[in-house]
Amino acid sequence: MAEGMRVKPDLEFIRYMKKAGGDSLKKCYQCATCSVVCPLSADKKPFPRKEMIWAQWGLKDKLVADPDVMLCHQCGDCTAYCPRGAKPGEVLGAIRAYAYNHYGFPKGLARLASEGKNLPILVALPAAIILLFWFLSGGMQLPAAGEAVDFGHFFGHWDWPWLTKNVFFIDIIFVPAFFFSLFAAFKGGAAMWGQMVAGLGVSSNFRPSVPQFTTEFLLPAVVEIVQHKRFKDCGTNYDRIKGHLPLLLSFIGLFAVTAYSFLRKDFVSLFVGKELQHVLHGPIPLSDPFKLLANISAIALIVGIGILWSNRLRMQDEQKVTATFFDWFLIVEIMTVGVTGLMAEVSRLIDVAPLAYLFYYLHLVAVLMLFLYMPYTKFAHLVYRTVAMAFERYRESGFVKQP
Amino acid sequence: MTDESSTTVTGGVLVVGGGISGLTAALEAAEVGKDVFLVEQNPYMGGRVAQLNQYFPKLCPPSCGLEINFKRVKNNRKIRMYTMTTVQAVAGGPGSYQVTLESKPRFVNNNCTACNACVAVCPEERDNPFNFGMDKTKAIYKAHDMAFPMKYVIDMVTCTKCGKCKEACIYDAIELDMQPKTFTVDVSAIVWATGWKPYDASRMTNLKFNESNAIITNMMMERLAAPNGPTGGKILRPGDNKAPESFAFVQCAGSRDENHLEYCSYVCCMASMKHITYIRAQYPEAKIYVFYIDLRTPGKYEKFREKLMADPNTQFIKGKVADIIAEADGGVTVVAENALTGDKIKQKVDMAILATGMEPANKEQAKALGLATDSNGFILSDANGGMIAAGCAKKVADVVTCAQSSTAAALKAIQASRR
Repeated sequence: MAEGMRVKPDLEFIRYMKKAGGDSLKKCYQCATCSVVCPLSADKKPFPRKEMIWAQWGLKDKLVADPDVMLCHQCGDCTAYCPRGAKPGEVLGAIRAYAYNHYGFPKGLARLASEGKNLPILVALPAAIILLFWFLSGGMQLPAAGEAVDFGHFFGHWDWPWLTKNVFFIDIIFVPAFFFSLFAAFKGGAAMWGQMVAGLGVSSNFRPSVPQFTTEFLLPAVVEIVQHKRFKDCGTNYDRIKGHLPLLLSFIGLFAVTAYSFLRKDFVSLFVGKELQHVLHGPIPLSDPFKLLANISAIALIVGIGILWSNRLRMQDEQKVTATFFDWFLIVEIMTVGVTGLMAEVSRLIDVAPLAYLFYYLHLVAVLMLFLYMPYTKFAHLVYRTVAMAFERYRESGFVKQP
Repeated sequence: MTDESSTTVTGGVLVVGGGISGLTAALEAAEVGKDVFLVEQNPYMGGRVAQLNQYFPKLCPPSCGLEINFKRVKNNRKIRMYTMTTVQAVAGGPGSYQVTLESKPRFVNNNCTACNACVAVCPEERDNPFNFGMDKTKAIYKAHDMAFPMKYVIDMVTCTKCGKCKEACIYDAIELDMQPKTFTVDVSAIVWATGWKPYDASRMTNLKFNESNAIITNMMMERLAAPNGPTGGKILRPGDNKAPESFAFVQCAGSRDENHLEYCSYVCCMASMKHITYIRAQYPEAKIYVFYIDLRTPGKYEKFREKLMADPNTQFIKGKVADIIAEADGGVTVVAENALTGDKIKQKVDMAILATGMEPANKEQAKALGLATDSNGFILSDANGGMIAAGCAKKVADVVTCAQSSTAAALKAIQASRR
């Protein structure tokens, strides 16, 4: 700590922390037990003791530029051993929520997604968008009696061979949403990277190129994330890996299936005869290995999020964590995506059209929510934690440390 | 007398606990003429102070303060002293309590001259609780060198009643068939001076007390440094008797921790500093590391701290030890974060001393007897009655404060008996 440093506490930030589950913060008396029992903390400048005093002092600029806040996996060992019940794990969770909002782009949407009282708007917005496009498409009707349920006809049907009407509408909703969310995440992640580099306090004449950044920092971080190495080090909250790992793998699986479906319907179908094109544009048969992967992933997603759901409920009962909108929004959202998707498929297979269409609609709404709010809600950890884990490698690299 | 009560006022005072607090309260009440029953559960008087090597404020050996009190107790006909005795039940109310006491058999009568002939022939051994299990005694033993009353005692858990001691005793002092005695006393006030016990170090799982001989508690350090201790006063590592070259003090081991003792135990900072003086006397070059959250050195003890901190071989590190790793060479590595530099420290030392805190000694008994206690088990004095807490049964305190609170308790007991 520099001599004569002047602390300018940000009262608004302190008030925010109290509301966001960090109300135990003031109990901390800086014994540093947390930094030692933390299984993820480094030997040099360990966390979360320093974050606790920064938060007490309201030094939010230091906190949002601190990679350690993002590197925390909320194992809960610090909270279990804390002699004061200051719950450092909870406090860091609240700081992360603050940082997602802080770096969120555009600001208005970030603010909207950060508060529970906005939940009706958060649901109504994508619900209205899908409904509007359904209306615009003119496909707003249930299949006629005797006709099999085919979600490929949800947004109606035309005879243009290159792109089905349904995919066209799906694309004009979800492709912009996807790229919007990707762009917002990039803006936020880049802003945090900039702050973290500034926080290092070293001026470097060399900056990694994009390929260098990708191969030396980003890819190793992603590999570590997929392997769930740090979750395995967790003590108190070790059980969480049983939920988080299947969940992460299911997301990868579903991403692969989406990519396959895109190639099959919109790309391969262009080069085949009319007969086959019709088949390719229809639902993927259950026997297709990718359909199998999709169904396994869907089950893994529901099971994974279910485990995380029950873990959190149990910890709430044991008063180890406080219930926050930040945590529950993501859990319920992912569960909704999984359940509506599965129910839509099941009701399609058993041919109950009204149910099938209702669930399909809800599924589209849930997925759109996941896309739109990813950069601001807890889901944003997939961006910010990855960036922080890449940064962790960067700060140890030759770009920062003079050899 | 305006509010004469209908119960018989006996005027006697019962003091429960024969440590420094109980002795003080008993003497203060007896020396102004009260009849006092002084009961102690151990076979000896003197309590925790008897186990210390030196004690504050003047770093005297315990013989210094205890011996004069023992002499006063011996000479005072108003005090009736019972060792190995506990309170079984309390009936009645302020002004007249009927207290049922039980004396466990000592199996050695007043003929004992402490000649030690019995110990020489006794075939059975037991861990010595007075030295925290760091050495052994025979089944018939002397509690410690300065035990008062100076009478041997038999631990019937270990004794096989082989009768060898009885044969060896030329004074006919051994009665292997001695029975427990239950009796009732009628008193107008009770002073609870039941004292404290060290908090169980094995409950701090991250400090791994049971995993290495190099990890000892502060009370074990007192015994190691005491001339009548297991090593004759030489500070050696239990197990391999190595002379340690480095020491780490782990402050607040269980204190100020809502998972253990939520309060500050008050004495541990000064106790550890006292231990540094023990170490320095024997090992002038030893490296000493003190890991603390805050140092509590009230009043004039600040000078004491300043002197110790001036020693270049003694480092004070702000940061609590939260992990201890047992090493293959018999030492340990203590892990803490230095909160001032913000870096983790892994300090390898030959011996780690856990500054464990004070816990009320008789929590369960207090509950069973229906005494009012606070949430931590410290006894609350009954404001208008004759139940008075003193010393460490009342709150964590050093010897000086215990003596003061016991004198105050004696005064309250006298007032209660006059009502």
